[in-house]
Amino acid sequence: MSTNITPAERLRDAGLYAPGDAVLSVRDLNVRFNSENGVVHAVRGVDFDLMPGKTLGIVGESGSGKSVTSMAIMGLLPETADISGSVRFKGKELLGLSDKAMCKHRGNDIAMVFQDPLSSLTPVYTVGNQIIEALTVHNPTMSKQAKEARAVELLRMVGIPSPKDRLKAFPHEFSGGMRQRVMIAIAIANDPRILIADEPTTALDVTIQAQVLEVLHTAQEETGAAVVMITHDLGVVAGMADDIMVMYAGKPVETGTVEDIYYNPRMPYTLGLLGAVPRVDTSDKQSLVPIEGTPPNLALPVLGCSFAARCPMVSDACLHGEPELIPVPGVEAQTLGHKAACIKAEELSGNADAHKIFHAPPKPVSKFDGVARVERQKVLELKDVKKHFPLLKGALIKRRIGTVKAVDGLSFDIREGECLSIVGESGCGKTTTLLEIMEFHPDQVGEVVIGGVSNKVATDHKTTMAMRKEMQMVFQDPTGALDPRFTVYEVLAEPLENLGMPKAAIRKRIMELMKLVGLQPDHVNRFPNQFSGGQRQRIGIARALAVNPKLVVLDEPVSALDVSVQAGVINLLDQLRAELGLSYLMVAHDLSVVRHISDRVAVMYLGKIVETGDVDDVFDNPRHPYTRALLSAIPVPDPNLERTRERIILQGDLPSPLDAPKGCNFATRCPVFAALPAAKQEKCLTLEPPLASEGAQDFACFFPDGEIDADMLVVHA
Amino acid sequence: MTNIIDPIAEIDEARVADQDVVIGKSRIIFRRFMRNRTAVAGLFIFLALFLFSIFGGFLTSWDKDTIDPLNIGMPPSPDHLLGTTQAGIDLMALIVDGTRTSILIGLIVGGVSVLISAVYGCTMAFFGGKVDATMLFILEALIMMPAILVVAVATSGSGGLKDLPSWLLLIVVLLFFSWMGTARLVRSLSMSLMQRDYVKAAKYMGVPSRRIVWRHLVPNIGSLLVLDFTRGITGAILAEVAFSFIGIGIKLPDISLGVLIGQATGQVSSFPWMFWVPLTVMFLLTGSLAMMNDGLRDAFDPSSSSIGRAKTKIAKKTNK
Repeated sequence: MSTNITPAERLRDAGLYAPGDAVLSVRDLNVRFNSENGVVHAVRGVDFDLMPGKTLGIVGESGSGKSVTSMAIMGLLPETADISGSVRFKGKELLGLSDKAMCKHRGNDIAMVFQDPLSSLTPVYTVGNQIIEALTVHNPTMSKQAKEARAVELLRMVGIPSPKDRLKAFPHEFSGGMRQRVMIAIAIANDPRILIADEPTTALDVTIQAQVLEVLHTAQEETGAAVVMITHDLGVVAGMADDIMVMYAGKPVETGTVEDIYYNPRMPYTLGLLGAVPRVDTSDKQSLVPIEGTPPNLALPVLGCSFAARCPMVSDACLHGEPELIPVPGVEAQTLGHKAACIKAEELSGNADAHKIFHAPPKPVSKFDGVARVERQKVLELKDVKKHFPLLKGALIKRRIGTVKAVDGLSFDIREGECLSIVGESGCGKTTTLLEIMEFHPDQVGEVVIGGVSNKVATDHKTTMAMRKEMQMVFQDPTGALDPRFTVYEVLAEPLENLGMPKAAIRKRIMELMKLVGLQPDHVNRFPNQFSGGQRQRIGIARALAVNPKLVVLDEPVSALDVSVQAGVINLLDQLRAELGLSYLMVAHDLSVVRHISDRVAVMYLGKIVETGDVDDVFDNPRHPYTRALLSAIPVPDPNLERTRERIILQGDLPSPLDAPKGCNFATRCPVFAALPAAKQEKCLTLEPPLASEGAQDFACFFPDGEIDADMLVVHA
Repeated sequence: MTNIIDPIAEIDEARVADQDVVIGKSRIIFRRFMRNRTAVAGLFIFLALFLFSIFGGFLTSWDKDTIDPLNIGMPPSPDHLLGTTQAGIDLMALIVDGTRTSILIGLIVGGVSVLISAVYGCTMAFFGGKVDATMLFILEALIMMPAILVVAVATSGSGGLKDLPSWLLLIVVLLFFSWMGTARLVRSLSMSLMQRDYVKAAKYMGVPSRRIVWRHLVPNIGSLLVLDFTRGITGAILAEVAFSFIGIGIKLPDISLGVLIGQATGQVSSFPWMFWVPLTVMFLLTGSLAMMNDGLRDAFDPSSSSIGRAKTKIAKKTNK
């Protein structure tokens, strides 16, 4: 709550609205839910003004109340929720309106784009039907032709090819990115003044994310709507938002312009968040900033500063009374809007170093760091591994109508103490590759050699067991990977018992493991559901390390975790690799994480490696057009850079495996190919480029340094 | 590494340290069950009936074979607490015997059919492919078989099973037809469990398949099995009553609740006690099981409203 209200604000609160004022102003919004453990105070006093045509980014971890805030504005919370405060749309109070009265505003004045495009469209109606429905509700007098014309116009606006035919398509005929475009089309159908986007790109691939953000941008330009962008990803909002509100434990803890927040954070939490995100554009090899602990339980009253328990700068004064969101002291006139809820905001002025404040551990040094790569032993080698799935059709007699080449001739190796990451869009065969390695069966096509044992000779149980001891896996979802009925002790004991270790030795080993991954040893009798997500992932890592493997396979190890927790787990992985001399094979879609943790990277496209090499070489000087597009699509948490960066927006989605291109797989979407003269295009369409070494890395492209087609390049100025 | 702990977390921590915040799953289930009053009442009624069926013989000095020629077709009296039949046999003795038969049939059929369905279902799910298809076909074929005809044929003695007592025969026949539904449920449930990451993790650790089924699959379908056990008992008791009522289930000289009800229907107006007493006992039996079942479902269901302390959130710090 702000204590000094300007006259303009007072007027607005009284119900007078002048054009040029905020389209949406939220004052002291509080939301409470009832739960078994008492009343949860999910949103505790949110204030903001949204100016027409501007973008406000709300950033926070899960449970910080950002989605609840947006639902409260839309009036979509259940009846049981207790909402107080004021939400004014153009000066008109929205809170307390009946559902029916609210319907006039929803979709017409305020529209929403949801996170999951797969479940927000009704599968039984055509896409056209659903857009027209949105139009009909608010424009009952519109003629059928006019509605159809408008639907086509909307689909064209969000970049769906041949929009007229696509009107009759059903949602399942669209890919995830296309569905999110349709959602945006529906949201802007009635020219809303406010567009609320709740994590609109979290479920999408980076290349598709870039497309969708682009569409949101266009949509905003076309309609002039103000946008509220809710996200946990500091990179996504850096380029889009004008103002940022950082939320923690249901309360805004810092607000200001993008520059204020990114370049001059005054709240330790913001500072920590910014330091916790790895950067894709620099080879900054220091540890990430870990924010220890978990957010407070909002069912209990918050006594002091909500962040005090996790704050490294905490002092006694922080524990008495919650600090108010007040203008940051000692700032120039132009940054008057910069407010922080911290009594130490002044101390943080200038260039405060998050690494120092949060005691980030030093970058661990491995014993292999000094050894040249060729001198290290191979822990894993793949030779021409293939996995083809037949595509069958027919009810009784199945005809083979094609082959899905999920993995098509993969060869790579991993040496001791190094981390290889496989990156690519979903559907490119990353996970299938991991599964092929984990299966380890003599009947596989191609050879997998793990710790000197080949799958071709793994016919008996003993060989397989020897290999299992060399390689272990950490799963993406830490909750699903732990049997809910096992205590931590049982979880960790399972692999050891399997090796036939005596009981006393198992107990000793488990205590070691708990310490190793930074968990308290006396927590071994707990069940997985009594731990937070980050702690569960630590248990998963401990289980993988139990048998002392040489190679750990990491399947998206941090993608299910919050940014602040993610940093802790990444630091742990880094430290373990150095201390234990482990090698990692990682699959991740977050290229910033990949850059931070890996030594080498392999970029996959449609079952093939298109570029591979040392991570710094590939990321700093990508040669294959796909790698270039992938890297340019990653948002960077740096607003100035983000606004001037050239971005390659790939057209369309991954081609269906049925009509896989003959020559170069990537030709259908390639930005270089599109700019090539016809004579050279012929080569791409007929010949398959081999993975050849040139310069520092290997890549598979005929025209690595070709011009990029101008249509696919986007710069926001 | 965190140096300051807020007071709430500290209190929480202390509670964690000296109390049993970490409670076993079985204890959570027991507590939740005990919180459901109806279910506890059901449990007590069932236990009382169970004890009655075993020790009820001591409440009367008569037994079911002795005829009291002085009291033929008499209503309840101090001599015969529940009256006598028109043949002069003490009704109390008959009810004790009948209840025992019914409970016996219920327990055996309920228990064994759950075992069969668990084994059958898990096998189908684990092996998959051709094994699954064949076993599923057999299962579907059994579902389509008319149970009532088979019961009639088997208990009338034309199946060459004359020497078996009729209650045992009925158990065998009921078992034969009672497990298919659950087996299909178990199959689909274990199929989804097989896809879980922790099953995959165990597989990649090299844990043998047998052990995976035993340690990861069975405990996770355990709650379903317990629920199905109580439901199976009710089902079997009701089936016994129904079959005996129409005269194809338990045959005299064996006595069951169904037989008693069936015999008395003709003379409800002249000998009402002979009809109402066994009927009440049957209602108490199945009713108590239904009440228990509701409580069990509540206790096992992780998303049920009786959360209790199972979800106590612990704010803990790592890296001290």
